[in-house]
Amino acid sequence: MAECLLCHRNSQEQLTLWQLLNFQPVEHSLLCRACLDSLEAISPEQACAGCGRAWSDQLCTDCVQWREPSNFKNRAMFQYNDLLKQYMSQYKFYGDYRLRKVFQTKIVHEVNQFKADLVVPIPIDAATQQRRGFNQVAGLLEPVKTVEGLMTLESDKQQPQSAKNRQERLKSKQPFKLNLKAEKFNKKRVLIVDDIYTTGRTIRHAATLLLDAGASEVMGLTLAHG
Amino acid sequence: MKEKQLFGRQVLADTMSVEINQQSRLIRRPAMIETSQWVICQRCSQKTTKQEVRLPSSHYYCPHCFQLGRVTSNLWLWSLPEPNQFVQCAASPLTWTGELTPAQDACSRQISDIFTAGKTHLLWAVTGAGKTEMLFHGIAEALMKGLRVGIASPRIDVCLELAPRFQAAFSGISQIVLYGEMERPYDYCQLTICTTHQLLRFYHAFDVLVIDEVDAFPFAADPGLNYAAEQAKKESGALLYLTATPSKELQRQERQKKLSVSYLPARYHGHPLPEIRLKLTSRWRQSLVKKRLPSPVKTILRKITSNQRHFLIFVPHVKDLEGVQSALKYQFPDMKVATVHAGDENRHEKVQQMRNGELDCLITTTILERGVTFANIDVIVLGADDAVFSTAALVQIAGRAGRKAAYPTGLVNFFADRQTKAIKEARCQIRFVNRKAQKEGLIGGHFRG
Repeated sequence: MAECLLCHRNSQEQLTLWQLLNFQPVEHSLLCRACLDSLEAISPEQACAGCGRAWSDQLCTDCVQWREPSNFKNRAMFQYNDLLKQYMSQYKFYGDYRLRKVFQTKIVHEVNQFKADLVVPIPIDAATQQRRGFNQVAGLLEPVKTVEGLMTLESDKQQPQSAKNRQERLKSKQPFKLNLKAEKFNKKRVLIVDDIYTTGRTIRHAATLLLDAGASEVMGLTLAHG
Repeated sequence: MKEKQLFGRQVLADTMSVEINQQSRLIRRPAMIETSQWVICQRCSQKTTKQEVRLPSSHYYCPHCFQLGRVTSNLWLWSLPEPNQFVQCAASPLTWTGELTPAQDACSRQISDIFTAGKTHLLWAVTGAGKTEMLFHGIAEALMKGLRVGIASPRIDVCLELAPRFQAAFSGISQIVLYGEMERPYDYCQLTICTTHQLLRFYHAFDVLVIDEVDAFPFAADPGLNYAAEQAKKESGALLYLTATPSKELQRQERQKKLSVSYLPARYHGHPLPEIRLKLTSRWRQSLVKKRLPSPVKTILRKITSNQRHFLIFVPHVKDLEGVQSALKYQFPDMKVATVHAGDENRHEKVQQMRNGELDCLITTTILERGVTFANIDVIVLGADDAVFSTAALVQIAGRAGRKAAYPTGLVNFFADRQTKAIKEARCQIRFVNRKAQKEGLIGGHFRG
């Protein structure tokens, strides 16, 4: 019997008659039904056209204030609710790398919708990479072909974004630089992927950098918004 | 980090900056051992396939004990041998002045011998037998010799209830309580009270280690915690398990003579355990939907309320709490009712209100099955046939009634849609210990009240 990676209860999923009879291996879900049911998916039709939060299809009050980069659009897949907080905490901060697989099928599906030329995961700084042993965004994107188009500036990161309040987050300076020659991005449609959209500061810094490098369009995809 | 912090501990090497004069005595062990297919965590002993836990950095991590800081295959566990740097006291440090019954005293002496001999032993004593008091003399002797003592339990609530009792019983001894969300940092103390998870941070530290409620979740279900207990004590140290409801595995070890056992089938006040009464219901959850309690339940509740008794209602799942509460409020509008479960932020306050008699009824999940004492209550279990109620859980729940000498009786009523093996075994077990106590002359009211 499979154990839920988050709540550790045995998922008491019954096999369907079809699963019994078709003699194919049964794919066990990594989370139990109760945990999966606590996820709150954001529908693209009822989301802010700027940051992707659950909203009408207009710009939300935050996004009206964002000036740059203009026309940047983010798609967020889930609300950053208690379950997703627990997920991110166990995945990122405790470093349970098995959890990268939980959303992979859904993320591949989302990424394919964008039909982007390049998929760029948001990088993490070298010290975190060393300690954690993985980049959480790259883990989510494991089945997708990505390019490491960005890297962190060494001077930055005295303090992680998650430890700051909103005002401090909004004031943070460009934390990235290009990891590849600018020509690589020339006239390309680029999809930037991050784990959580909070104020939008991080992903918009990344977007500005790629647009300045010559990208024709930069879009964002985050697992969560909140 | 000071040396003292490492005495008998095992700490992941990257989380430390250590100034150590005793470099030569430092024990360094690799945090994981690799075989061709597996990695084995040296902190919790759990084995995982390499493929499941390989990191992009090509190291491996342990997915079982990461809550205490992740163990990876490139790290080391550091520790310093336990030096027993405690002040030796000339007189007994025991400030507890209570008395033991003759039966308790016999167990207490056996425990002292076990502690001195450094053996592994099981104290099997019924709910409300006064297990903690039976430890005091043995522990006092150990502390006097300058030995390091640990008391661990799988349940945080049990630890938090034990701590003040040990503080009062050994008021001159340095003591620390360790659990997941504690605020106070670790300190080197002669007496440590902690959750069994915290034992994973110790290495050959304790001369005497007691595991209370050894059959409780998660200790019983987690081989890593069993290993932690073995590793937290010194190789020559004593290990004492306490429980009212030993697992099949412990009972098997007893039969095979691998584990010695002291047995106490009676409560300290000399009254028998309240026996379980079972009433069958039919589809109790459906009656709740109509805001009605099943009629046998209602009958019993009328009886309980007319006697102005306070009571606990155990239900199988968190989602059952609300239905029972609203049905109860609907049919007994004057009753003061609250619900409680593991994730409830006000859990401790509600339990305290129940203790103070401010509530008539507390509806609870199995979270209150053990380790808590209310003075004068009746006990009801709804849906006792649910799979969450193991034999041990049911015996423990029944054991909430009649614990205090001043109120040694109480009703224990189980309601179930069908009879189960667990219910049968629980009823048998209680009858069995009562008979046994009767035979040994331990009940019948000739002990102090």
